[in-house]
Formats: sequence, structure tokens, C-alpha cells
Amino acid sequence: MGHIIEIKDLHKTYKGNVNPSVDGLSLCVEEGDVFGLLGPNGAGKTTTIGILCGLRTPDRGDASICGYSVKEAMKKIKPLIGVVPQDFALYPMLTAVENLRIFGGIYNIPRKQLMPKIDSLLDTFGLSSSRNRAIEKYSGGMKRRVNLIAGLLHNPRILFLDEPTVGIDVQSRHVILENLKRINKEGTTMVYTSHLLEEAEHFCSSIALVDDGRIVCEGTPKALVAEAGTKSLEELFLLKTGKKLRD
Amino acid sequence: MRRFWALLYKDILLLIRDLAGLAMMFLMPLALVVLMTYLQDSTFNSITEHKISLLLLDEDRDSLGISIGQSVEASHIFSVDTMLKEEPLTALSLEREVAKGHYQIGIFIPRNTTEKIRLGIRKSVLGTFGSDTDTVPIRMDSISIFVDPTTKNSFKATIISSIREYAARLQADFVLREVSVEVNRIVPVPIGKIEMPKELVGIKERYARLDEGRLMPNSVQHNVSAWSMFAVFFIVISLSGNIIKERDDGSFTRLMTMPCPYWLYLQAKMVAYLMVCLSQLFLMFLMGVYVLPLLGLPALEMGHSVAALVLMSFSASLAAIGYGIAIGKMATSNQQAAVFGSISVVIMAAVGGVWIPVFVMPEIMQTISRVSPLNWGVSGFYDIFVRDGDWHSVLPECAALLSFAVLCVTTAIVYDRRR
Repeated sequence: MGHIIEIKDLHKTYKGNVNPSVDGLSLCVEEGDVFGLLGPNGAGKTTTIGILCGLRTPDRGDASICGYSVKEAMKKIKPLIGVVPQDFALYPMLTAVENLRIFGGIYNIPRKQLMPKIDSLLDTFGLSSSRNRAIEKYSGGMKRRVNLIAGLLHNPRILFLDEPTVGIDVQSRHVILENLKRINKEGTTMVYTSHLLEEAEHFCSSIALVDDGRIVCEGTPKALVAEAGTKSLEELFLLKTGKKLRD
Repeated sequence: MRRFWALLYKDILLLIRDLAGLAMMFLMPLALVVLMTYLQDSTFNSITEHKISLLLLDEDRDSLGISIGQSVEASHIFSVDTMLKEEPLTALSLEREVAKGHYQIGIFIPRNTTEKIRLGIRKSVLGTFGSDTDTVPIRMDSISIFVDPTTKNSFKATIISSIREYAARLQADFVLREVSVEVNRIVPVPIGKIEMPKELVGIKERYARLDEGRLMPNSVQHNVSAWSMFAVFFIVISLSGNIIKERDDGSFTRLMTMPCPYWLYLQAKMVAYLMVCLSQLFLMFLMGVYVLPLLGLPALEMGHSVAALVLMSFSASLAAIGYGIAIGKMATSNQQAAVFGSISVVIMAAVGGVWIPVFVMPEIMQTISRVSPLNWGVSGFYDIFVRDGDWHSVLPECAALLSFAVLCVTTAIVYDRRR
């Protein structure tokens, strides 16, 4: 399979900051992969995802998604990607169905196809019984699930997941990860960011550890751990950077 | 189009779910327009309908005297007295009272004025028919009008022309009566009584009276115009809050990762709030036309140009929406937007003549008021309600309001992009 995402020498420094958030980052993601962009808070994961989703413009370098440049053809990229942001990014006063109808409409999905799709996804993620309840009355785990469904409505080729399981209960985490694995098997490429390395080790097919906007190491989790002779990705990160992930 | 409908559906739902915001946008201005109109009605009357004091001495007590007395009473321009408290009313005391400034106008109608007109006309008609041989003319007494020097020329002219009109009508009546008597005396077949037709040329008076070239609104015209503008601009709190909430909860970020152009997002928001503003204006106008009269206030005259009203309503709404978008995009928090939005609207309202009409402000404030968009709006609605202007007459105000809207939205977009 070819590269569905190619990042070349990406640079981004925010106004007023001396240190770059992304500092010459280059990597490739194979189609069908679950690619983990892992590192501590402030490593540049969210900025990289932001550039790939069209929320930020790089200072230097470029990235292409499905062959389209993020600098020149974002309009063509947006219908192909789904984004699950770290924030819930939902309208709290509206119900789950209302939120999903709005997002489905923006993806230009015809109403006749949209409603069955919403019903099916709500059912899959165990939210059918609370479909008409306002989001503000949902638990954190339920909100995360609706957040995820909103990114899946239009069957994207690539799904960007920014810390999709942060701050939720074990049951919701299990439902989310199991369904994500199933969706990946159906052909959706995933780019997943997290600082939860243990979760990533089991979930991702390949990873890149990033720190200070640069790639520390890249490969499959098993190969990286075996190559370095460490027990886990956390140990690997400590070995490569000299600091613990929670620093 | 499906994207636009989805965004519009979102903004309408967000509006409907915010009951407190809806109440603030609809109930508060409606309550304010009733309250302020009621409170200000007597003040406006004293400004716009100050009555002229008039002392009338009718010694004639016949047709002419009675007609003049009734007409000055019916005009509602004059406060009429026919006697004095301390002394009997005579021609001398009447002149003295006006000279002292106790009355602005005094009218003296001498004894037998009507009778002398009647006799004079009979003599003239008989002379015409060759029946009168008496050549001694009848000595007519003049009606005297005493005027205080401070009385405006317009009132002086009004009263003199009214008296002339009544005298002329009385003379014409007498002429016709005497002619019919003489004709019946000459011709074998008697003719009926010839009567003066009543007002062949009708004159319909509409809207405010002319006061030295300036038209003044009444309390309803002012308050409906002013509080409508205030209501429309008060949506900035809801609109800016809505924009900031979307930014804070991340839903705006999500929209920007979707195939949702920025301009489409703004367009849907503008259409949703345009519906709110137009509904507000519609309710305020209905209030002016149907509810305020129930409280003993004058009904709002809507003017005759629907095009002008529509143009003004759209322009005022878009100006307010533009301002709300600018605040929503530039404020860093909901609290900042609410405080800045409400205070700035209140200041623009005060300067723009919402509470106190611009025409009673000192000259310097009248000049300053020209920078307030609320003043442009109030002025435009005055053009429609007070001056019965057509769409041409509101074009300057509409152009100013629409330019303000474009400036605000452009500033918001540039600021947002830079951020």
C-alpha cells in the first residue's frame, strides 16, 4: 500500500514563542495503518494534526494527504478526512441527534442516508437510548463517543484522533477502542495522538515518538521496543530523550 | 445548499434553546418601549404641542363671534380664556393683558359685527338690484387682534387667516341669502334658498405640524424608533456570546476541519440573527400601532412606504449583526463580550438619542450623536414615521448602516485570520 499521508520538513512556530512547536518534522503514513503520534504534552502532536486538518498553516515545509497538498488543496482534503478533536467540540444545549444532523449536513450527506447512519452509529456506540438527551447532560465517556461518531458520519478515508480516550471511564474507553479497531479493519486509516503510551502500544500498528517538535524514533511498537531492548514505550522514550513522559 | 441549511438549523436551534437570551432580546425592548413612551409622553407634549394662550372677548355674540370662538377652541393650538379673574374683560383690559405678557394673543370682536356685515351686504345687494336709494355707507368696526411680540409668526398667520376665512364664509352666506330674497321678489316662479356648498376642496392634514421648518416626533414615534434600534443592537450580547461559546467548546474548530467555508458559517449566523432582528422590529411596530393606543397614547403612523421600512429594517439589523460578529470575534471571553457589548450599546444609545431625543440635546451633543449607528437608525425611522418619507429619503441612513456592517464584519474576519 502507498503513503496516504506524507509530511516533509514541517515547521511551525507560534507568534510570541521562541521555540518551534514543530521543528522539521517528516514522516509517512501507510494506507490502512493506525499511526500513533506519541509524546508528552507540548511535543507538537496537536499542532501537526492541526496543520494536516487545515486549522493551521505551516511556516515551512508541506504535507500531502491522498496526494493533495495541505497548503494548496485543503478544499479537496476536507471531505476525505474525519477529525475527532481533544475537546468535545459539540453543542452542549443540543441533543446527540441534533448535533449529528448538523455535522452530517455540513458533510453534505443526503437526509435519507444520514438518519440511518446516525441511528446505526448511535447503536454501535451504545447511545441509542440517550439519543434525544442534551449533550450537557451526558457523562464524559458518552460525550467522547458522540465526539467520535461526529468524525465518522461521512465514512472518511483518514480519521484523525486527538487524545480520543483522555479522561474517560474504562467502559467507554473499551467501547471506543474496540470500535476503532473494527473501523480500521474496514479500511479507514487512523492517525492517533496520545500521551498514554501503554494504550498506544496495543492500539497502533506503527508509531512516531515526538518531543520538542521533532521525531525521536519511528516504527512498529514491537520492533522499536525490541530494538532498544526496553520493556515498554515509556522506557524507550526515557532512553531516547532522557526524560520521563510525564515531565 | 445543504451545508447552509445545516448551519442555519444549528443557529436557530441554539437561539431557541437559549430562553433567557430570547427573553432579553424580545421582552425587554417591548417592556422598555411601553414604559418609556408612557413616561415621556407628557414631556413630548410639552415640547411638541405647547399651547398658545389666547384671550377672547366676544361682544358680538352672533354668528361670526361664535364661529371664531368655536374654531380657536377646536384647533387645539390655543389655550382659550374668555374672562379675567380680577376684573371684567373689556377691550382695554384685553390689550393690557397681552401687553403684560399674560396672554400671547388677544382677540376682540366688537358688538354687532355680524349684524353690521348683514346690513352692509343687504345694502350692497339691494343696490345691485336697484331697490336701495340710501347712499349712506354702513360704518364697519374692525376685529382687533393683539399679539405678544414673542409669538411666533406662524401662529399669528394662522389666527388671522382663520378669522378672515370665517368672516368671508359668513359674508358669502349673507350674500346668497339676500340674492335669493331679491330674485324671488322679481321672478314669477320662486327659487329655493341658495346655500354655500361645504368645502368643495377638501384638505387632509397628516402627520406632524410644521414648526419653523423642523418636524418633531411625538412620544410614540420617537420611542418606537429609538427602542427598536436599541433592541436590534442588544442582540450583540447574544450573538457575540454564541460565537465565543462555539470557539470555547471547540465546535467552531470542528466546523473549520469540515468542508464548511468560513463565509458560509458567517452567512448562516447572519441570516439566523436577521430573522431575530426583523421579528423584534415587527413586534415593536405592532406594539406602536395596536398596543400603545390602548394605554391612551397616540397610535404609531407607519408611513406609506413599505420599501423604505423594509430597507431601513434590513440595514439596521445588518449593522447590529456586524457589530455583534466583530465583538464575538475580538473578545477573549464571554464575560468580556457581554460587558463590552452591553456598555458600548448603552453608550451608543445615549449618544444616539435613544433616551433623550437628539433635537433637545445641546448643539455639541447633536454633532457627536452623528457618529452613533443608533442615531442613523433612529433618524431613518423618523424619516418614515414622522416625515412619511419614501425609500429615497432613507438611503443616506441605510448606506451609513450598511457601511458600518461591512466595516465590522471585515474587521472581524481580518482579526480572526491573524489570530
